[in-house]
Amino acid sequence: MSTHSFRRLFHFLLCAACALTLACAQSAPPAAPATSATREVVDDLGRHVQVAARPERIVSLAPNITEILFAIGAGDRIVATTSFCTFPPEAANTTKIGDTQRPDVERILALKPDLVLVSTASQLESISERLGALGVPTVVTTAKGVDGVLTSIERIGVATGDAQAATALAAKLRERIEAVRSAVAGKPAPKVFAIVGNEPLFTTGKGTFLDDLIRLAGGASITADETNEWPQYSAEAVIARAPDFMVVPSVTHGFAATDSGVPASIAATPAVRNNRIIRIDGDLLMRPGPRLVDGLEQLARALHPEAFR
Amino acid sequence: MRQVRLTPRRLAVALATLAVVLAVACGVALAFGSERVPLGGIVAAMWARVTGGPSPLSAEHTAIVFDVRLPRLALALVVGASLSVAGSAFQALLRNPLAEPYILGVSGGAALGAVLSAVVFAAAATGRTMSAFVGALATIAVVYAIGEGREGAPTERLILAGVIVNAFLSSAIIFLMTLTSESGLRGIYSWLIGDLSGSSEALWPIALIALVGATAIFLCARSLNLLMLGERDARALGVQTRAVKVIVYVAASMITAASVAVSGMIGFVGLVIPHAVRLVVGSDNRLVVPASALVGAAFLALGDTLSRTLFAPREIHIGVVTALIGAPVFVYLLRRSW
Repeated sequence: MSTHSFRRLFHFLLCAACALTLACAQSAPPAAPATSATREVVDDLGRHVQVAARPERIVSLAPNITEILFAIGAGDRIVATTSFCTFPPEAANTTKIGDTQRPDVERILALKPDLVLVSTASQLESISERLGALGVPTVVTTAKGVDGVLTSIERIGVATGDAQAATALAAKLRERIEAVRSAVAGKPAPKVFAIVGNEPLFTTGKGTFLDDLIRLAGGASITADETNEWPQYSAEAVIARAPDFMVVPSVTHGFAATDSGVPASIAATPAVRNNRIIRIDGDLLMRPGPRLVDGLEQLARALHPEAFR
Repeated sequence: MRQVRLTPRRLAVALATLAVVLAVACGVALAFGSERVPLGGIVAAMWARVTGGPSPLSAEHTAIVFDVRLPRLALALVVGASLSVAGSAFQALLRNPLAEPYILGVSGGAALGAVLSAVVFAAAATGRTMSAFVGALATIAVVYAIGEGREGAPTERLILAGVIVNAFLSSAIIFLMTLTSESGLRGIYSWLIGDLSGSSEALWPIALIALVGATAIFLCARSLNLLMLGERDARALGVQTRAVKVIVYVAASMITAASVAVSGMIGFVGLVIPHAVRLVVGSDNRLVVPASALVGAAFLALGDTLSRTLFAPREIHIGVVTALIGAPVFVYLLRRSW
């Protein structure tokens, strides 16, 4: 290649780079939300975030957050959710910005949100930091245990400007939890084994919502001593611990599905012998939203039918 | 490598010794688990099964030994023997020390079949095993078609074809995994590393395929010995090289496909066991093939016992155990032989 054409190529590349930079600069979102009145919100990680008084363009990056938003009456202000946000049915009408693991940051920016809600369960630290750095108000929620979900609902209500509705919802849910608690109080706790996946056999350790729900529903999880949240578990240990009930969250699909949901290797247990298999929609047991309390009530009724006559 | 003439006596002594090792490994696998079951009780219960007398074990312990440990041990034996025999066959056939049961794309094909059935059709265990097997067979045919030249299929072309197809298939698997929900991913992940805790309903067909395939390879062992000298020499000595290559290729691929279909991709066994066996007994395939079957079965039975007991009642993946133990043992054998 001659020197002349080299120089022309260089000029071309330079111009192209300039044009690209300009184009990017133009499409970049405004650095701060357009709303005049903002206030400071403290999120579950203790971060202080400036949020509009009443955000009108909300992006939810987790299914439980989407459920909470609809439950506190902020559903009509959602502009985008993830492809995993399947409930309530109206959530299907929102724009989808990818799934919870790989949301599309460009599309989020293009929607000009004035509030993005992230759950730490999705492990999106890098994305929430990037969004925060780009001036998008980003509030992170992290719920621990069923009580934590109630707090989380109240905090989301504060962030979206629906504090009153959120407090009312949390109070109602707390009441229902209390009703279950008093109904099963003093009853002997049957031994429970939860089948989170059956090939290989996965269950819940301590600290998960499922573990919390089993305890609140008046059951004793035989794997509550496991420190790992979702341990792969030994079939012979299940047989030796002789659970009275098996809980099968019904979304276990893909590899994990036999006809009964209970693998043949753990058939020699009182639960299978007496056909005490509890099938509940997995979203009600593992998604930290308002429907967790529905899951709790179903579980408690199955474990202690006599307490709910 | 040591070259000692293989006499029927030496063959018998070597295989009898390894059979005893295997029997001990089976005993260990049945005796240990996350729960303590008295050893005397297990022996008595087995005797009671044979004679029809009363079993001294409780119902729970009986279920643990006969419904949990025994089917799992059987699966470990079949898979361990299959992968080792396939490894010894591929290493002799391809004259390449790095050849292993997965190098020709068998694993990738099986994995793609399994993941497809899980992701797209949400298939249950039986469907998954079937589609893994079909995927593996399809891949074997594709790789052979790519690798085939005017002069049959030269070994370098086969290996290259296998590597390329493997790369393509693993990208396809990763793509499918990005479409999968979290609960589905856990199963796929376990399967990609290898897991023996799954259902054992496919045991008999898999065992049958393993037996037929291993027998075919064993019958070709003498020809493989000559093939290892070089293809032209072998032909000059009267070996039907083309026929032997096709038989061994198909047999080794079939038994690999069958194993992967039930247990996922347990690495390392097929690569290391045949080498270890050769370091100890010499390189005559008439001994290497059956000895690899026995050692591979024993190795996987012991490895699975560790995966069940090390962090009991949690289980760890068998693929992790085989590599963590197999690598140091192999290094020891390698250093000792020099």
